[in-house]
Amino acid sequence: MNVLSKLTVIGVLLALTACTNPADLGDGNAVDLNGAGAGAGSGLVSDPTSPAYFNQAIGDRVLFSVDQSTLSAEAQATLGAQAQWLLTNTDYNATIEGHADEQGTREYNLALGARRANAAREYLISRGVAGSRLKTVSYGKERPIEICSDEACYSKNRRAVTVLTTDLTG
Amino acid sequence: MMRFLTSLVLGAALLAGAAQAQNQPLRITIDEGIIEPLPYAAPNFVPDSPAAAEYAAEIARVLADDLTGSGLFREIPSTAYISQVTSFDAPVQFADWKAINAQALITGAVSVSGNRLTVRFRLWDVFAGAELGSGLQFAGTTDGWRRMAHKVADAVYSRITGEGGYFDSRVAFVSESGPKDQRRKRLAIMDYDGANVQYLTDSSSIVLAPRFSPSGDRVLYTSYQGGFPRIHILDVGQVQQRVLQSQDGTMSFAPRFSPDGQTVLFSLAQGGNTDLYAMNIASGQSTRLTSAPSIETAPSYSPDGSRIVFESDRSGTPQLYVMSASGGEATRISFGQGRYGTPVWSPRGDLIAFTKQSKGRFHIGVMRTDGSEERLLTASFLDEGPTWSPNGRVIMFTRETQGASGRAALYSVDISGRNLRPVRTPDGGSDPSWSPLQK
Amino acid sequence: MQTGTKISALAHVTLVAWAFLGGAFRSDPLPFEVQEVSVISAEEFAALSAPREAPEIIPQPVEPEQPTAPIEQPAPVEPAPEPEPEPVRPEPQPVARPEPEPAPQPVEPTPEPQVPSEAPSLERPEPETVLLPEPPGKRPKPRPVERVAPEPVAAPPPDARPDPVETPPVSAEQGAETPQPEQPATAPEEATDRIEPEADPTTEVAPSRSPRPKTRPQQPTQTAETKPAATPEAKPAAKPEANPAPASQAAETRSAVNDALAEALAATEEPAAAPAPTGPPLTSGEKDALRVAVSQCWNVGSLSSEALRTTVVVSVRMNADGTPDTGSIRMIESSGGSSGAAKQAYEAARRAIIRCGAKGYKLPSEKYDHWRDIEMTFNPERMRIK
Repeated sequence: MNVLSKLTVIGVLLALTACTNPADLGDGNAVDLNGAGAGAGSGLVSDPTSPAYFNQAIGDRVLFSVDQSTLSAEAQATLGAQAQWLLTNTDYNATIEGHADEQGTREYNLALGARRANAAREYLISRGVAGSRLKTVSYGKERPIEICSDEACYSKNRRAVTVLTTDLTG
Repeated sequence: MMRFLTSLVLGAALLAGAAQAQNQPLRITIDEGIIEPLPYAAPNFVPDSPAAAEYAAEIARVLADDLTGSGLFREIPSTAYISQVTSFDAPVQFADWKAINAQALITGAVSVSGNRLTVRFRLWDVFAGAELGSGLQFAGTTDGWRRMAHKVADAVYSRITGEGGYFDSRVAFVSESGPKDQRRKRLAIMDYDGANVQYLTDSSSIVLAPRFSPSGDRVLYTSYQGGFPRIHILDVGQVQQRVLQSQDGTMSFAPRFSPDGQTVLFSLAQGGNTDLYAMNIASGQSTRLTSAPSIETAPSYSPDGSRIVFESDRSGTPQLYVMSASGGEATRISFGQGRYGTPVWSPRGDLIAFTKQSKGRFHIGVMRTDGSEERLLTASFLDEGPTWSPNGRVIMFTRETQGASGRAALYSVDISGRNLRPVRTPDGGSDPSWSPLQK
Repeated sequence: MQTGTKISALAHVTLVAWAFLGGAFRSDPLPFEVQEVSVISAEEFAALSAPREAPEIIPQPVEPEQPTAPIEQPAPVEPAPEPEPEPVRPEPQPVARPEPEPAPQPVEPTPEPQVPSEAPSLERPEPETVLLPEPPGKRPKPRPVERVAPEPVAAPPPDARPDPVETPPVSAEQGAETPQPEQPATAPEEATDRIEPEADPTTEVAPSRSPRPKTRPQQPTQTAETKPAATPEAKPAAKPEANPAPASQAAETRSAVNDALAEALAATEEPAAAPAPTGPPLTSGEKDALRVAVSQCWNVGSLSSEALRTTVVVSVRMNADGTPDTGSIRMIESSGGSSGAAKQAYEAARRAIIRCGAKGYKLPSEKYDHWRDIEMTFNPERMRIK
């Protein structure tokens, strides 16, 4: 899988070069450090400065109810911790991906995902993270993580995922 | 049934009341009939050589697929024929065709010389014993045999139904493969019947919702190439694409051409809010058409370019609205229970097709442009994204099946709600966009 | 067959001089129209598409940073070099295959510029739009114009049923069609869900084929009513007796129409008895029988929606044996649609009259004077799908 191989390469690169220029993320330069899940190449969960810690200990995602983009108390707590982490680890930026479940048209879900991503972004900004470090993107219903057609899956697909990024090319 | 009966009874009463003079013609009114495919016979076109015979057989197959596939015609199997047609110019034995209840008869000839293929045909009204229209000949290279067959089918279709055909057309769509959570999508284009699939992009980026230009030479689509959804435009002939609309920090999607092909309507999401814009392709100038905190997306022009139908959740749930092409006040047209999306104005201008979600099911439906006379044509776990055939008679759409092994496929349905059928594609397919008839 | 396959390996087509057609079909005695369908050959195609570089790929536009800038005017990305008006369309892959052949080998590897590497070119030597009106290969021979063969046909072959009421297995076809591997249940559901409470509750969405006109006034009304959402086919109830058994049918001299007619007569006798004056004119029952008989052959299933808004009045002179004089059929007026639509509507009406009258309508011969000339109004209002 492409992402995996990219990740390994990136891991190596990261080890060699410190990231620079975190503020400016050109298209195509953003790297998904979370994608592979359990800390592959991105440090140990036990290291609070590692992306793995961010993804798992803090939680990289918040969930939404049907058609909604408002943040639950739980979601706010998660985002609050994410903001803390980002404030500490300024080498990282983030792209927040908004997603929807498969109920709904493609177009509407794209717009809905954008709303969700934006809700998360606004919250992070309200907790002090610079807006310039946060991008948003919506995948609508194009990238489910759970594939059953039940609420059990839908509820996990209605999400905003904070994906740590770094700019390798500067 | 009931309507028939009431009319029968009514009619009977009327007729009984009207005394008829001796020499008046007898007058009756027929207001109920039957709706069924028209039976026709199409004996293999007469070949002038063995090579031509092979084309004749292939052409017969495509012709039959087109006509019967429309749901409006039924081919009488050749095993039922009483007589054969061995010469294109020989008189037609109408009695033999009447006897097997062929109401239309298609006769033809195929000749091959080098790589030149010539197809001629005539269409007959068997019971009237008369030719419908005049003979028609198509000539070209042998490679074009399939299009020639489609052209014959279009001519037959339009001569009998009175409206244009749709067989010599293409469909742009998204070819899908892989499981739901790792779906690979590629932009593809094919003949309307699934033949001649060509891929226009690889699967390295998500691509969504291609839209044909009114002249059929360009396709708009949304691609994640570069990491964010942006609108691309692709020249079909040259397979050249470029980003049409892009602005940092925004996402653009749901593009659609204006009827003159010079403007693109699209959605732009910015700061979590999605609104409609119109962009002049030549100048790149965009005009904002809506500015509400709600989601406005999936716009589509009326065929005269004066109005736009789109989807908005300003009322709380996604519904359909119509406004002037220059923006301004919008009128809501959907009032049924449920959520409405992806409206598309028919090429004839009289109907709007849409996706409807109600009680956990999805439907493709049509309504008049004022929202009246809503009719649902399909129902399934997930139907969406209608596109109109060039003649406004057939709708193609995406149907996705339920569950972990869910798969997307293309289907078509007549606007009467009859003749639902799958469209064959090599892999899964979604987001069809029907081209105009080819020139 | 292999030739077909071979040929189709290129399949690419380009232009046609539809212009030739001009849309108008004259119905003079067998004129011929010619169209050039130009397609490019394999060699030409290969030559075209092989080593050429794609003209140039416009790279991603550089974008201004500042993500949050409010946008009224999304920046013009770049002026659009409009493609020339009528580009021919060469295919991107020289190896295009005809059939649903999965040809997934194209561009996979090239990730960045999303243009297939073997992006073809535009130039095509083949003259575009060859409007050379190829002379019709053979001069159309004047054709015997009207060859009406009214004599009833002898024994139709087994699977061709002369019965106008013939029931093509439409529904069966549909059923056969829809069973998609992974989705067998969808088709049946269609009809069921179509009539949603909040949707238009009418039956405009007719079942795959319309029930044949029934003859018995009283019973069926309710049946039809109560099962709107039932199975796609309302037909069991709809047309039981109209279909004579195949066996008898073959041998039977009387057509199904006559059967239906007889039935209709029988059925309408009682209601008609009261108001109908006894006397020379046809009874309403007799007229209704005729109406029913013609209705059974009036197939509007292949008419355009415009033709379905067009009412036509057709006159016909009847022979004494109850058959229509085919040559006498005329459209005397039409309303509601263009002349083109009226023509289609008229043709469907004409087919109905001729087809169901082939064996003679059952009309009382002693009243021939009353039905020698008939004007039939075909009003499709109730049949249309909107």
